[in-house]
Amino acid sequence: MRTRLLVIGCSICLQWVPAAFAAERTLSVTIYADDLALVQDRRDVELKGGRQRLEFQDVSAQIRPETVSLTAADISIVEQNFDFDLLTPAKLMEKAVGQEVTIVRVNPASGAETREQALVLATNGGVVLKIGQRIEVLRDDGLPVRVIFDKVPDNLRARPTLSVTVIGGRSGSRQATLSYLTPGLGWKADYVALYNESDGKIDVQGWVTLSNSSGVTYDNAQTLLVAGSPAQADAGARPANVYRAQPRPSLQQPGTESGSRERLGDYYLYPLAERTTIANLQTKQVSFLDVHGVPAEHGYEYRNAWLGTSETPQSAKSIYSFSTGAHAGLGDQLPAGILRFYMRDKRGDPQFIGESRIDHTPMGSTLSLATGDAFDVKVHAVVEKRTRLSTFDWQSDMRYDLTNALPRPVTVKLLQQGLWGDSRIKAESLKSTRRSAETAEWAVTVPANGKASLTASFETRF
Amino acid sequence: MRAASKRCGFAMRLILAAGLPASGVAWGAAAMAANPQDTSADKPSALAVTVYRAPGREAGSIDLDDLGGFALITETRTVHLPAGTIRLRFEGVADGIEPASAIVTGLPAGVIEKNRDAKLLSPAALIAAAVGKPVTLLRTDKKSGKLQRLAGTVLSDAEGGVVFKTSEGIEALRCSGLPETFIFTGAADLAATPTLSVLVRSSTPMTRTVTLSYLARGFDWAADYVATLSADGKTADLGAWVTLANGNGVGFPDAHTQVVAGSVNRESGEVEPLDVGGPILAQCWPRGSTSDQPTPMVMQLAGATRGMNMDRMYKMTLAAPAALEEVVVARRVQQEQLGDLKLYRVPDRTTVASRQSKQVRLMDRSGIPVTFVYGVDVAVGDDDAKEPARRLLRTKNDAANHLGLPLPSGRVAVFAVQQGERLLQHESDIRDLAVGEEVEVDMGESPDVQASVRTETVDIDQRKVRELPLVPGVILRSVQIDELTRVEVSNARAVAIPFELRVRLPEGGRVLRADHPLGTKNGRPIFRLTVPANGSATVRFQSGHNEDKLHR
Repeated sequence: MRTRLLVIGCSICLQWVPAAFAAERTLSVTIYADDLALVQDRRDVELKGGRQRLEFQDVSAQIRPETVSLTAADISIVEQNFDFDLLTPAKLMEKAVGQEVTIVRVNPASGAETREQALVLATNGGVVLKIGQRIEVLRDDGLPVRVIFDKVPDNLRARPTLSVTVIGGRSGSRQATLSYLTPGLGWKADYVALYNESDGKIDVQGWVTLSNSSGVTYDNAQTLLVAGSPAQADAGARPANVYRAQPRPSLQQPGTESGSRERLGDYYLYPLAERTTIANLQTKQVSFLDVHGVPAEHGYEYRNAWLGTSETPQSAKSIYSFSTGAHAGLGDQLPAGILRFYMRDKRGDPQFIGESRIDHTPMGSTLSLATGDAFDVKVHAVVEKRTRLSTFDWQSDMRYDLTNALPRPVTVKLLQQGLWGDSRIKAESLKSTRRSAETAEWAVTVPANGKASLTASFETRF
Repeated sequence: MRAASKRCGFAMRLILAAGLPASGVAWGAAAMAANPQDTSADKPSALAVTVYRAPGREAGSIDLDDLGGFALITETRTVHLPAGTIRLRFEGVADGIEPASAIVTGLPAGVIEKNRDAKLLSPAALIAAAVGKPVTLLRTDKKSGKLQRLAGTVLSDAEGGVVFKTSEGIEALRCSGLPETFIFTGAADLAATPTLSVLVRSSTPMTRTVTLSYLARGFDWAADYVATLSADGKTADLGAWVTLANGNGVGFPDAHTQVVAGSVNRESGEVEPLDVGGPILAQCWPRGSTSDQPTPMVMQLAGATRGMNMDRMYKMTLAAPAALEEVVVARRVQQEQLGDLKLYRVPDRTTVASRQSKQVRLMDRSGIPVTFVYGVDVAVGDDDAKEPARRLLRTKNDAANHLGLPLPSGRVAVFAVQQGERLLQHESDIRDLAVGEEVEVDMGESPDVQASVRTETVDIDQRKVRELPLVPGVILRSVQIDELTRVEVSNARAVAIPFELRVRLPEGGRVLRADHPLGTKNGRPIFRLTVPANGSATVRFQSGHNEDKLHR
């Protein structure tokens, strides 16, 4: 008997659902890399026939209401509303202005309750009530008074709510699909690279990192990740032709190989193998890449700005480069993200040695990533002399002192930037290669525990 | 299923008691769905903490109130996995965890996903989870202590105010002046401590040892050097501590501890901050009284606390310097090479407690030969400028000078012995110094040694300035503007001092004539001279530079 009652209880709690929706629901979420997601929410709606308001409370709190579309057989949409007037005590009182509420005075000494009907006159800075013919300020005397409202005003809700007014042809249950765009859901890739110093190889694992700050949980959602950033109209266009210091390019050679991954136009797709629950405020990681023994090169690099001169030696950057190609490489295209490098210490434990951001990288590319500054390899660049040759001609004599406190020789790629216009090198102690008109490059070998020097003389218009 | 029906039964009773429709959707779904089994990993059996310095800080010590560095934490834990799909929970990870950096090794092949929930169990989180769900309202009569229990439903917790519904009608929490609170029926499925979970599938029950490693914020370290000068000021003893600090609320007992010197690249990681939650604010409708004007500040303040930027919240939890205690350990760290970085290993296992700073001996060297020099920077064109000289301590980081070891950046305090007592002379920052580099420690300004700069003449006539000898190698060709600068250096000390006068010239400028030998350092002219005890020295030099006609 008891069991039976419980079963009935359970069936009641399953049947009572908000806005006449059954619990049957299929979610699919497509997440773009740039904090944007397309949510498709398929569920059964119960239609009464005729004009009807459908409410969706469990949608993203950051929903872009203008992108909402509801599709179902045999309905037409009258209007869509996104209500964000939230139910708070203050709003509740504000909306009760001109209406009657019940107040319950509690006698602090006896605990006896006195009930009265009151008309709310105003809520500006304090609640003014009219009780019978008396005007009172609520709780002006500090004594306990409960205020009881009869109902919650229609458009006040605990959470922002999407509502769609529809006209349904016939009554009954049918499947509807609600789709909308929302920010607050995003993903990026995170890579773990373990560099093996003895044989110069790296093991790379790639993880997709999903984050959800959209305010709701997506239960049991089929998830598809799109590598690429579709243009968003209001995404804030960057002014063109604005000079910004170029960050060190990590992509040395863009690749030309095609992988086996699914594509959407020019974007790569990463479907998650299983349905997953993306909880609110959760960070979730799913593996997508695991490659071992990829050859990698380790080197040093120092970039000197035009007329860059320093009082103390500066560390060279520690650089790791490797290929993403099928041959002797990672053999995959890499979605944008952060690559973290690890290396084993003397005891064999992996230790973090720095990280670098990569952009969407096609397969077959050569990446060269800076992990940090080398403690023992330093460059001291100094402008030795600036001479004015004529009104439009300057000569700049540069000296670069390189030191190496490591017990092995190193080669430092030294770049002098800022050779604009028809700048030329008049003299140099080591042959340079011109990487571009603006940048001269030297490969300087510094002996173990030793020094090397390089001088160069530039003729420029500035 | 039995547990589920029990829960439903409880809900049922509530419904009957309140005569309300209870929204049992979530519960129903929870009971129906084949949820993965929850298993907690054992407490860590071994821990390793590697602390990295704040990226971008080239020199100087740590700030206990704002620990900008990070650490790599490696935990070894034993897990007992039943067969099936399991949500394996690693409880008690550092609150500053960067979830994207987490690596789990040693699990059977089927790791499906890794999760970190930023939401922690808190009163506000409880309320948020209870919206639309039945709760029990508890009212206490202040006089009699009598409890009144009422079944109700939370309607909203928006913007810090709580609205609920009982059989009597709709009310707001704690607006009546009566002691009111809720009793919740479930703990909202939230973790109490920061937790990382891994969804894993295993075909048979098994026990495994797994390694979890991740980067966490709220750590930092620096080297703190103490240099003690000998009585004659010709040598110094140098000792140093590694000072490391953990600002996290989680401690690491008995951990292998390392610090890494050298600057590693960090991308500005967008870490989802922890939502540490907050109290139930229970904001009410406007409370005004006839005797005092309402201050809108109260509401604004409460609003500000509620809507406080997560980042700050997070920072507060980390930085709340709940009296960081200091611990000093006196065995030296061992240094090894880690790629292009230097790794220092604390010899024994040690406990890196929460909100603690700890010191471990880095090095001790004695009898390091040092020299002192006074120096001043002058710019040509400065007229009638007076400046105290800076005193610099110099040595070289090599074996001949009893050093020759990597010196990680930090702060150095220089002490001198004065009548048997050690007195602090100056404290300054030093950067990372590799073996073989010059060491220069700024000892502060010396008011006893002053340099005054005066421009004697500005001339374009060459003949007038020919009284000074020409600097060897200078050929006069296109010099247009000549300035004769006079620098007087006075010394109020009872000893002669070596002095370096560094000259800053206009673009394209050169020193043409000078009454002292001219050198260059870092591309700039420098005069090295000795200023006699209680005396002064004068340097006069003539400099020339082209004036840009286009801009005249």
